[in-house]
Amino acid sequence: MQSTDVRRRGWDFGLTIITVLLLSSLGVQSFIGTLYVWWAQSAVPNWEQAGYNGYVALMNLLAAPQLVALVVVMGLCVPKRLFARRVLVTVSAAMVAAGLVAGFASESLATGVTVYLGLAALIQLAVVLLTAAGAAGPSYLTEGRLTKLGSGLLHLGFIVFGIVIAALQRSAFMLPVFWVATVLITLGTVMSFYANRFAVRHVEPVEHPIAF
Amino acid sequence: MNPYATYQAIEQLTTTLRAIGSVYEVLLFIAAAVLLLAAVLPQAVRWRGWFLAGMLALLLLGESVLVWFHWRLYALTEVYDPATGMLTGRVAVPLWVESEKLFVWAFMTALLGTAMVRHRRALLPGVMIITAALAAGASLLGRPFTQPLPQFLAQYVDYLQMTTSGFQAAMGAFEGMEGARQFYYNAWYMWVHPPLLFLSYACFAISFVATLQMISSRHSAYETTAYRWARLGYLPLTFGMLIGFPWALSAWQGDSWWWSGKVNMSLMMWLLYTGVLHARLYLRRAGMWRWVAALGVLSFLILVLTYITTYLVPGAHSYAFLPAENPLWTTLSTLLEGDA
Repeated sequence: MQSTDVRRRGWDFGLTIITVLLLSSLGVQSFIGTLYVWWAQSAVPNWEQAGYNGYVALMNLLAAPQLVALVVVMGLCVPKRLFARRVLVTVSAAMVAAGLVAGFASESLATGVTVYLGLAALIQLAVVLLTAAGAAGPSYLTEGRLTKLGSGLLHLGFIVFGIVIAALQRSAFMLPVFWVATVLITLGTVMSFYANRFAVRHVEPVEHPIAF
Repeated sequence: MNPYATYQAIEQLTTTLRAIGSVYEVLLFIAAAVLLLAAVLPQAVRWRGWFLAGMLALLLLGESVLVWFHWRLYALTEVYDPATGMLTGRVAVPLWVESEKLFVWAFMTALLGTAMVRHRRALLPGVMIITAALAAGASLLGRPFTQPLPQFLAQYVDYLQMTTSGFQAAMGAFEGMEGARQFYYNAWYMWVHPPLLFLSYACFAISFVATLQMISSRHSAYETTAYRWARLGYLPLTFGMLIGFPWALSAWQGDSWWWSGKVNMSLMMWLLYTGVLHARLYLRRAGMWRWVAALGVLSFLILVLTYITTYLVPGAHSYAFLPAENPLWTTLSTLLEGDA
């Protein structure tokens, strides 16, 4: 039992590190892009007319694999709360395969990503419902049912927001779905951060001094 | 509508504000210098909280004057459709645009700094230095009282002039002014998004000071304080940025706003703070605090750069193409571009 716990925490840590690295990498790209725009505006004549579209295309091209990787990692983070590691790999592979098939069949990356995120949203919804019901299944790094529920809602919100960006930007459903995502993210963040303030039964987090 | 009478009334209003501002901005700069001294001089330790409260009172006074100015401006800035002669509405300029941004940030930081409780004594000097820098910046660079709303007033005065220059010119100016009124100044988003971001900036400033304390003292309690302020700042930052999405889709329809400088930098700032909050989950691992601290410091530096980007990098959100009304911004820009 303890070794499963240790393995799960190692897996969680790996996913967290990959998430932080991907977020940082996108951040670095944004920074370099900003510096480039600043330089190009002053150094290249008529850059806004002649070069801006090329710059946007290059930024999209560079960001696409990172965003896809981020989406995949987010997808992996979702079923990890429900399934044991071996089943998790199978479920994750099936999700990626479903996304790829949908993407190739429709010849659209957005459709593939939407299908992948749709599956992730369904699993995350199950995680949220199980957490709310107090089921023992879902595993979290955090303590306390409200905190866990907040974390679940927050991640569900981001998945729904991903679907808005990938599939609904020109749809009549964009605004209502967007507001659902915003409420989920905001409520989830408040619950994740401040659950202890309004919990009936307090769960003290296990604190150890930082090893400086 | 009498364009000349409106112009005269606006001119009178801005002259009054400039007269108040010429005294107030000097006072603000002196108060910032005093606050800085109080932060660094050991003799002032016992009185630091009072110095910061004093700065807050001065900023509150200035904000009240700005509220009065905006309220009066709202009553004057009517927009008429030249085709029908009908009033389409008045311009409600938000209290945190153009030259007022640094002032609002200073106000929020002073407010939260005065209210903070945990590790108050240790964090006060850092918070005072940041508040002093922001207040000095507001009085020297922003100058919201002596150079009020340069972009808006230029556009509105131009609109007034065009109303007397024939139908075509009046129509063109009206479309520009009405678009700005509906999608920018009077948009609910502009009344919610910027103050949320300035609130988060103020929280992150205190978190930054606590992170520096943790690094220098190697005391884990400061890390908890830094985390508490970071999570408090993350909420308005995330919500504020999220609500920008549907607004940007409608206001900048057809523009490639996603990769513009300010959006890029804001995205990076949010990503980094998300990274900090994720990395912190593993704080108890050996050496992890270094990464969390480094990410925390880097995130705040990027926050400052994000703010400066507004004035340097053209694109959505940008004031970089404003006429060079403020020589200090021009000097700063030139220095940063390496032309000086």
